[in-house]
Amino acid sequence: MASTPRSRRLRPSSTRNTELTSRRVDEGVTRYYRLYELLSAALQDGTIAPESALPSEPELSTRHGMSRTTVRRALDRLERERRIVRRRGSGTYARQRRTVPRFCVELHALPGILAALESRSTTTTLRFDPAPVPQNLRPMAAAIGPTAYVLERLRFTDSQPLSLTTAYLPETVASRLRRPIPRRASVMTILGRLGCPTTAIRCIVGAVPADAAAARALDVPLGSPLLRVRAVLTGDAGEPWVVLESLCRSDRLQLKVLERG
Amino acid sequence: MTSGARMNTTIKSGAGVSRYLRLYRVLSQALAEGRFGAGEPLPSEPRLMRDYGVSRSTVRRALAGLEAEGRIDRERGRGTFVRAQQQRAVASRDWSAILDGTTDTAVAASSRTTAFERVPTPAFLPRGERGFGSTTLLIRRIRSVAREPVALETAYLPEEIAAGLTRRQVSADGVPILTLLTGLGHRSAGVEREFAALEADPLAARNLELAVGVPVFNVRTVAHDARHRILAYIDCLYRSDRYEARAAIEIADPKPRRATAKRN
Repeated sequence: MASTPRSRRLRPSSTRNTELTSRRVDEGVTRYYRLYELLSAALQDGTIAPESALPSEPELSTRHGMSRTTVRRALDRLERERRIVRRRGSGTYARQRRTVPRFCVELHALPGILAALESRSTTTTLRFDPAPVPQNLRPMAAAIGPTAYVLERLRFTDSQPLSLTTAYLPETVASRLRRPIPRRASVMTILGRLGCPTTAIRCIVGAVPADAAAARALDVPLGSPLLRVRAVLTGDAGEPWVVLESLCRSDRLQLKVLERG
Repeated sequence: MTSGARMNTTIKSGAGVSRYLRLYRVLSQALAEGRFGAGEPLPSEPRLMRDYGVSRSTVRRALAGLEAEGRIDRERGRGTFVRAQQQRAVASRDWSAILDGTTDTAVAASSRTTAFERVPTPAFLPRGERGFGSTTLLIRRIRSVAREPVALETAYLPEEIAAGLTRRQVSADGVPILTLLTGLGHRSAGVEREFAALEADPLAARNLELAVGVPVFNVRTVAHDARHRILAYIDCLYRSDRYEARAAIEIADPKPRRATAKRN
């Protein structure tokens, strides 16, 4: 069992909070909350591994110099959040927290890696028509211009949504694309078949809260974390084939990249 | 805000966080990254009510928050508009280049070390000759740009690699861990990064000055040297409004082929 490292001992914090509703934490943090915070971080980063035992109540109480009642309060909260299980007569154990995503897209292994994703999932086309390119994508591919053909698709597997991709294709490319839009092929694969092979991708990856459309499509609560990939796919001469934004459920789709030094 | 997906399902309410706050965050992020140009209108109140399935008072509360922050103007009878100075903020919000040391700028990254000590090697780290021994150096830092927190970084270094690394070096300035290791003669030959979107846990929330449950961007990095020894495992939680990761991928053979499975 991994013991709680010394670093997690309680320390006064001097953080200020800026977000509207967050509580002030300077002096106001109760002892129970600090212990809760430490254990919570240890569970999150795996210092206390899934299925492994937490230190016992007397141990926590001694180590952090707090009463059994305070220790219990912190554990109660973690139990309510379903992050630990208490087994009578045995102890307290960490629950498996992160679900292992079903798909792993290794960006450095494109396009080969897409074959696995394409064979095990399908898409629904939500729209394919001319539309303005959103402000936040324009600087990524200025050559596409302010209007393009938008291809919006929802990808899912076993009726579970994985990702919502909005691709903006220049008219020269979009005019080669015929309906019906292939159900399995990714945008990159479709482009290849249209005679627009991708030789380079620039992408920006981050996290965003789900907005109304994404929350509905991906079946998650409003504001919950989604992985966002914005990418430009270019051809041999550096011409942009497409600029796209993909919102992915991080619990179902994993994204990796390997860089060689 | 986009009207893209029209599905029959309703939006899940999500536990613990109020509706107004969820709407506030979505709009706040959209403004932060300039999805609406300066002087452009936001969706109308009835439109937001319909899209988000919330009451007018909830919409108004979210908009009032943004107005109080000076980010929007509400004009009676006309609508809601993005303030002009919002544009300037956009440019300074993504601090990845500064934090990663890939740009020269007057704005410097800094860091505060909250942990630097030997711990029993956590179970999720690979053990063995090329991996971790029975103990590991754990470093936890809060990395900031212009005094605003951007990342909560937890790094695990094998003892062998960490020998010679002092708390002072780690704390001195905002230098990335891998850059510090290069300075010690441990050059990375391969760096694998794994991206995820998570909710801020209480520790991350406090250190990054966010509310618990706000989306954070998680990057887990494993660096190897030329002999395939692990140099570091770094688990980093970034404020999603201040950091994004960039990757450039060259595709040598655009024809599809199967990639070989890789060991983690």
